[in-house]
Amino acid sequence: MSATSSTSTSVDGLAVHVRGLTRRFGDFTAVDGLDLDVREGEIFGFLGANGAGKTTAIRMLCGLLQPSSGSAMVAGVEVGRHARELKRRIGYMSQRFSLYDDLTVDENVEFFGGIYGLEGAPLRERSEELLPLLGLADRRRTQAGALPLGYKQRLALGCSLLHRPRVLFLDEPTGGVDPVARRRFWDLIYAQAAAGTTVFVTTHYMDEAEYCGRVSIMVQGKLVALDTPGGLKALTGGRDMQDVFLRLVEA
Amino acid sequence: MSVLGTLVRKEFRQLRRDPALLRLVLILPVMQLLVMSYALNNDLRHLRVSVLDDDRTPLSRRLVEAFPHGVTFTPGPGAEGEAELGRLLREGRCDIAVHIPAGFARDVSDGRSPAVGLAVDGSNSSIAGRGAGYAEALLTREAARLATENGRPGGTPVKPAVRFYHNPELESRLYMVPGIIVILVTIISALVTGLAVVREKELGTLEQIRVTPVTPLQMIAGKTIPFALIALVDLILATLFAVAWFHVPMAGSPLVLLLGVFLYLVVTLGLGLLASAVSDTQQQAVFTVWFFLVFAIMLSGFFFPVQNMPPWARALTWLNPMRFFMAIVRGVLLRGAGVGDLAREFSMLALMGVAAFGGAVALFRRASD
Ligand SMILES: Nc1ncnc2c1ncn2[C@@H]1O[C@H](COP(=O)(O)OP(=O)(O)O)[C@@H](O)[C@H]1O
Ligand SMILES: [Mg+2]
Repeated sequence: MSATSSTSTSVDGLAVHVRGLTRRFGDFTAVDGLDLDVREGEIFGFLGANGAGKTTAIRMLCGLLQPSSGSAMVAGVEVGRHARELKRRIGYMSQRFSLYDDLTVDENVEFFGGIYGLEGAPLRERSEELLPLLGLADRRRTQAGALPLGYKQRLALGCSLLHRPRVLFLDEPTGGVDPVARRRFWDLIYAQAAAGTTVFVTTHYMDEAEYCGRVSIMVQGKLVALDTPGGLKALTGGRDMQDVFLRLVEA
Repeated sequence: MSVLGTLVRKEFRQLRRDPALLRLVLILPVMQLLVMSYALNNDLRHLRVSVLDDDRTPLSRRLVEAFPHGVTFTPGPGAEGEAELGRLLREGRCDIAVHIPAGFARDVSDGRSPAVGLAVDGSNSSIAGRGAGYAEALLTREAARLATENGRPGGTPVKPAVRFYHNPELESRLYMVPGIIVILVTIISALVTGLAVVREKELGTLEQIRVTPVTPLQMIAGKTIPFALIALVDLILATLFAVAWFHVPMAGSPLVLLLGVFLYLVVTLGLGLLASAVSDTQQQAVFTVWFFLVFAIMLSGFFFPVQNMPPWARALTWLNPMRFFMAIVRGVLLRGAGVGDLAREFSMLALMGVAAFGGAVALFRRASD
């Protein structure tokens, strides 16, 4: 495909390459000159308080929101130029549960598979592979609305993985569930990264930051730090990520 | 199965899971057709009542006088015999014919249930139904009162035997029913489509679909095809019902009607999508569509003929798709009009369809900014 050849060679080994990415809403700048690179296969944590601009940044990277200025390259595609090709290569799990409550697990899977062109035997194979992994194998006929929140989140993850995206964007994927369910969700994230998927994940749970390869911290639209959890602790003298975060935000 | 097939099937699955919506789109139209046609038909005013009193007793005369000569009932021409009474009704010279048979007074005083003949002109279905009910209640009440006054407390109910006479003068009903069909198809197609899209906005699933390779055009087709099919089924049901129940003739070709429906659905589905594009909540979408509907109905010729409107209103009707579809449905059903007779209406609808649908597609493209 022409979109592939014209774009995939630009920045080798980088799944996300962002320069000066900015989004304003009226006079208010929600994301302010974001620069960052994410390597392929990395689990990249995107931390920040509520309203820091994480969701706005992710929506721009997924092609859902036009940047006011700046550029972004995701999965080898220039965002805003080759929207459809970009969408084939990424998966997105939004902050809100956004599957169909009135469809069953299987029907949601069939729907999201179908719109990526996945059907018949390949779809069946893919869901046989994913659903047990997600712990949903015995809930296939349950309507999504009747699932506990932790299961809903795993179903949403599954639906965003069906087409084997190269880069997976997860926006606060574990909001509102207990530590056991969060731990279980992170096992799934690890498994995906181990299989080569780049994971770009936002969270405001500081313990989850420890699970990431590298972590960036965003304050009021600006990136104030970016390093491994260990590096950030050394830099700030914080005991844990909670401590690191507080020191950076108050600085 | 294609991407479009996936989108359409999902829509039907959700519809099946939502029995309230299913009832709304399939059963309600016929019920509304029934209720509205009766309710919107001519008022019960000045129903001419002709009475044949074969009993000729003081008691029977009091029953005759029980019909108040006011707004609802006015006296019709008198009749000398049953044959003449029937003729008055058939010729449309009276709306209600009452026959008090000989022996009425005797029956009342003997405590037997007296029979009274009540015949109603069935041509105007609302008059037939409501007028008959009204007259029947009146006769029953009066006869019971007469019985009580004659020393029979509790009275004996009069048993009016109601008969309907068919009359070929069907004008107002025939005119109303196709109009109601048009309004129903508009509500179903514009409102339900608009709501279905906005609901996905509210749920966040629309955004989820926007990160997939589904194009705005596929998305729109996936939303409109199911509701176009439902609106079509509604139209067929309502038309069959109109023909079977209200005896509306199908004077023209169903194919011409179908062509009109197709063009009109493109317009209304486009308008529903436009409403959903400018609305963030289902309430906003309902109000937006409602606003359009009120104007469309007022300026459609449904209540007031377009040629009787003031010039500025007549000019506005040119922007109203419902006006043209109303003309097509009435023309095909009542006059047997063909495509040639309705060329202006068909071309206006085609034009509006391109504008509305094109606008909706453009807005959806822009929304994925
Ligand atoms: N569509 C929008 N219009 C106006 N302001 C917005 C819009 N979207 C987000 N914002 C604002 O941008 C800021 C960042 O929001 P968001 O990206 O959702 O933060 P986070 O995901 O980090 O909690 C907030 O102050 C929010 O109110
Ligand atoms: Mg957010």
